[in-house]
Amino acid sequence: MPEVLANTSEAAIQTWLVRTGETIAIGAPLAEVETEKAVVEYSAEVEGTVLELLVGEGQSVRVGDPIAVVGDPSEARSPDEAPAAPADEAQQPPQEQAPEQAVAPEPETAPEQVPSPVADTPAELPADDATRQPGGRLFASPIVRRLAKEHGLDLARLTGTGPSGRIVRRDVERALAAAPPAPAVPPAPAAAAPTPAVQAPTGTDFEDLPLSGMRRAIARRLTESKTTVPHFYVVGDCRMDALLEVRRRLNEVGTVKVSVNDLLIKAAAVALQQVPDANAIWTGDAIRRFRSVDIAVAVAVPNGLVTPVVRGVEGRSAGSIAETVRDLAERARAGRLKQQELEGGSFSISNLGMFGVREFSAIINPPQSAILAVGAAQQRPVVVDGALEVATMMTVTLSADHRVIDGALAAQWLAAFTAAVEQPFRLLV
Amino acid sequence: MPKHVRLEAAVPWVRLTTTPEDWKAADPGLLVGMLAELHLIRAFEETVLELAGEGLVHGPAHSSIGQEGGAVGSIIGLRSSDAVNGSHRGHHQFLAKALTHVSGGRFDPEQLVVPKVDEVLQRTLAEILGLAQGYCAGRGGSMHLQWFEAGALGTNAIVGGGVPMGAGNAWAQRHAGTDDLTVSYFGDGAVNIGSVLESMNLAAAWKLPFGFFIENNLYAVSTEVHEVTGEARLSGRGPGFGIPAWQVDGMDPLAVHLAMEEAGALMRGGEGPAVIEAEVYRFFHQNGPYPGSAFGYRSKDEEADWRGRDPLVRVATELAALGVLSPEQDGALRSQAQAAMKDVASRLTEADPEQAGKRRIRPELWPDPEFVDVGVRGDASELDGATVLEPLGYEGETSTRKFVDAVAGVMQRRMEQDERIVVLGEDVHRLNGGTNGATKGLAKAFPDRVLGTPISENAFVGLGGGMALDGRYRPVVEFMYPDFLWVAADQVFNQIGKARHMFGGRNPVPLVLRTKVAMGSGYGSQHLMDPAGVFATSPGWRIVAPSTAADYVGLMNAALALQDPVLVIEHVDLYPLNEEVPVDLDYQLPFGKAGIRRAGNEVTVISYLSMVRHCLEAVEQTGVDADVVDLRWLDRASLDWETLGDSIRKTNAVLIVEQGAQGTSYGGWLADEIQRRFFDFLDQPVQRVTGGEASPSISRILERAAIARTEEVVAGLERIVQGMGQRS
Repeated sequence: MPEVLANTSEAAIQTWLVRTGETIAIGAPLAEVETEKAVVEYSAEVEGTVLELLVGEGQSVRVGDPIAVVGDPSEARSPDEAPAAPADEAQQPPQEQAPEQAVAPEPETAPEQVPSPVADTPAELPADDATRQPGGRLFASPIVRRLAKEHGLDLARLTGTGPSGRIVRRDVERALAAAPPAPAVPPAPAAAAPTPAVQAPTGTDFEDLPLSGMRRAIARRLTESKTTVPHFYVVGDCRMDALLEVRRRLNEVGTVKVSVNDLLIKAAAVALQQVPDANAIWTGDAIRRFRSVDIAVAVAVPNGLVTPVVRGVEGRSAGSIAETVRDLAERARAGRLKQQELEGGSFSISNLGMFGVREFSAIINPPQSAILAVGAAQQRPVVVDGALEVATMMTVTLSADHRVIDGALAAQWLAAFTAAVEQPFRLLV
Repeated sequence: MPKHVRLEAAVPWVRLTTTPEDWKAADPGLLVGMLAELHLIRAFEETVLELAGEGLVHGPAHSSIGQEGGAVGSIIGLRSSDAVNGSHRGHHQFLAKALTHVSGGRFDPEQLVVPKVDEVLQRTLAEILGLAQGYCAGRGGSMHLQWFEAGALGTNAIVGGGVPMGAGNAWAQRHAGTDDLTVSYFGDGAVNIGSVLESMNLAAAWKLPFGFFIENNLYAVSTEVHEVTGEARLSGRGPGFGIPAWQVDGMDPLAVHLAMEEAGALMRGGEGPAVIEAEVYRFFHQNGPYPGSAFGYRSKDEEADWRGRDPLVRVATELAALGVLSPEQDGALRSQAQAAMKDVASRLTEADPEQAGKRRIRPELWPDPEFVDVGVRGDASELDGATVLEPLGYEGETSTRKFVDAVAGVMQRRMEQDERIVVLGEDVHRLNGGTNGATKGLAKAFPDRVLGTPISENAFVGLGGGMALDGRYRPVVEFMYPDFLWVAADQVFNQIGKARHMFGGRNPVPLVLRTKVAMGSGYGSQHLMDPAGVFATSPGWRIVAPSTAADYVGLMNAALALQDPVLVIEHVDLYPLNEEVPVDLDYQLPFGKAGIRRAGNEVTVISYLSMVRHCLEAVEQTGVDADVVDLRWLDRASLDWETLGDSIRKTNAVLIVEQGAQGTSYGGWLADEIQRRFFDFLDQPVQRVTGGEASPSISRILERAAIARTEEVVAGLERIVQGMGQRS
């Protein structure tokens, strides 16, 4: 399994693009690989004949594990032979089962009497162990083994991020955060024995849906964000009449259809330029302030959402933003975004206005430092110069990371944003 | 031609011999008592050799046969409140003291073995056989015989090792206002060892009622005395130190007695110590039932010559000549002694059911194996009911004091309240409080209880150990630098650290040893160690290491109240700090409680002394969310395992921080304990911060590179963070 994405330890074959027996050339598309965040096409790095596909479609394996055997047809092995080393052998630890070593013993050791250590093992491996390297050791810290036992976790399914790949506590916590929540149990009486952390399901009145990589990523990242990033919120109302009018005129003359959201992205960029201190993220030992304005847009996709990033918004026209967003959204729904299109930026916009939501607050998408939750543009009574009138209003909520953005800064930004929305000519320069 | 004036020693050095008139003048009851003790000891030693020959004495059986006259002659005139300690060849010394204690030195020749005597013989033999009913519960065996009640302070298996502690006992006797005395017995082999010579100097300087009794039996194992000294008249050591000396024929018990009477009069009269050299001869080899000639280091003729001077024969012959005791009566004494020993042996042994004709130890008499570690130290119950104060979170009245002033201040307060406390060490009485001011004001307030010592750590710490064993005083010994523990290692570890356990676990050794870590002061390779790690390997010692002045006061008060030897570690970096200290200096810190200096969740940082502050700085700099545990109590028995466990179960990561060199470091021991106690809770290996491999050098740059401070703790925390894996 190639490491197709930075920081990815596990990935699944979504679709094989080749079949056993097919001859492939370098660069030929081999498979679509699904990670937590995206689906990417993986091209062959070697040429030859596909002798065996080791991983079924939808099956998730660890990065570095073999997924297919490519070679000369004469090398095809019988079904009870051990899996061959993956294409990039150099990265793999030497495996005792390698055929060369099987013929190596000294004559005195009477090899024919020594049963092959691999002949009868692979077929009997339980399916759960498929991700474990044959004969490989699993390095996990003592507390990890203890926690795994307590929570019924299969350590073979975790990837260690500790020294030399050791599975450490954080890896377990990550896995637990991504795991399905325990079914709700009525609170035990105070005197009762402790309830097991996870109760084995017994009924048939529910269904456990397997987690997709994306669902795991959402669960992990947003749990971490909400629990470790100090969020605070500022709420503002924008009068939308002028902006809606600008949009109408733009769409009358332009070739590209510009949405309200496209203009809000532009407004956010203008505000970030005017308040550059807000265009920054927390790195742990510094605050990183960006020169360009990159804004992520939350795109709902089947069973989840992704947040592709529109880059250099400050230099784009509304039309360019609209085109880019449409392209990103289409490819997001098709699962065709590239990893780099999902990374970077300091700021996200999440818009639920189309569902009629009046207002909501959003969770910051790490490592970004702010997200703007946009509600519906609605006609509301407003008081202008002491008189009641009807205006189209929109409520927005900015969630900010207090490590980077203090309250006054957030307020400053919101004021700049509101001004840009309410005086939309600012968006056109 | 230069002019020479012959100089003479300021004290007399004499050879004392008896005349027929002396024998006539002697109290016949005393002479009969001598013969009785000689017979009892001889029969006892023959029984030991017999049992040893049957393989029933585990370990060596150093026989005193032939040289009983020195011990009996010198001890029979002593009081029970006088004390002796002795050497590896000490059965006769111990028995002479014990027998004199129960009999007053008077025996009825017709009924030699009365019940009290029988009990001494049985309990002594039981101890040598390693049995529970022995004087030291079977722990001491042949070489560690102790019976305080009789004034037998303990025989010692380190050559010369008991001598400094004997001097401490003599100090206590004198300062308690008695005219009792102490005698240390040792051989010709011990005369050249530092403990003895340093003690001679110290005892003479302080005019202690202390006798140096040299049993010169001419051979240190097989090495003849002329081979190893230029002055084989070993009593000659005395005058060089200003100690009057007697040389006497040890095969003549009356001569020894008279020499001890003369020397005793000086000692009891406050004239200081005395040296008595008794020429004696062991008829057998160092160990076991064969003569030395069998090993070729001495001739049969020589042995026959000395056997002709057998002290038993000498006394019996004189008593017969005086008409006091007939040869038949002498024979009857021997028969009674032999019969008594046969009886004693039969009570401790039985026929071996598995080997016909052999004996074995009666199985029910062995100590319970569970007893193995009992009494290594006290149970700290002596602290029950003490005034306890936890400075963390204390909101009562405080005053600002320099740390070093708190050191001197709490000692002054305790010395006012507790007259037993005596401070001793190099320069502690001068320089306005020693080299650092840590004893400031004490000498002025308590001139008799603040003792500036000669530069002989082995002697003065051992002397402190003797004071502690005596129990009338509470010694507070200062080592100017921790590395001097190596100079004094025998007394610190073999004697003070082991004394309680080795002699049966009942007699405490309440002593406080203060020293200061001086890393950063430029004193170089031989002055800058942290002693915690070395002391942690010596289970008799407790160790405290305060990081604040308020903790210092409470820990010193606890140390002075404990019945165990306690090492109190200070640090020169802490001395000048201005700190808030509770005004009332009488509180103790809670026993065995660590302090949480900062609470966190990611790593348990464990440290002590000055490094606690460096840890807090490093945590601040790195932003790592650490629990910083200030151990305070460092030894295995006092350490706060509960707090460590709670923290480790929470953080799953451990960083042990200390300043000094790796080799003698403290953390290795602790890391080992932690990984075994808390293995299932660890998420990464126990990490450590220490100094370098070598001792710190004098060069400022090299010294800094050799020790740990804040920067090294930062690096340690970074290793911990790496071990934690990726956050997301």
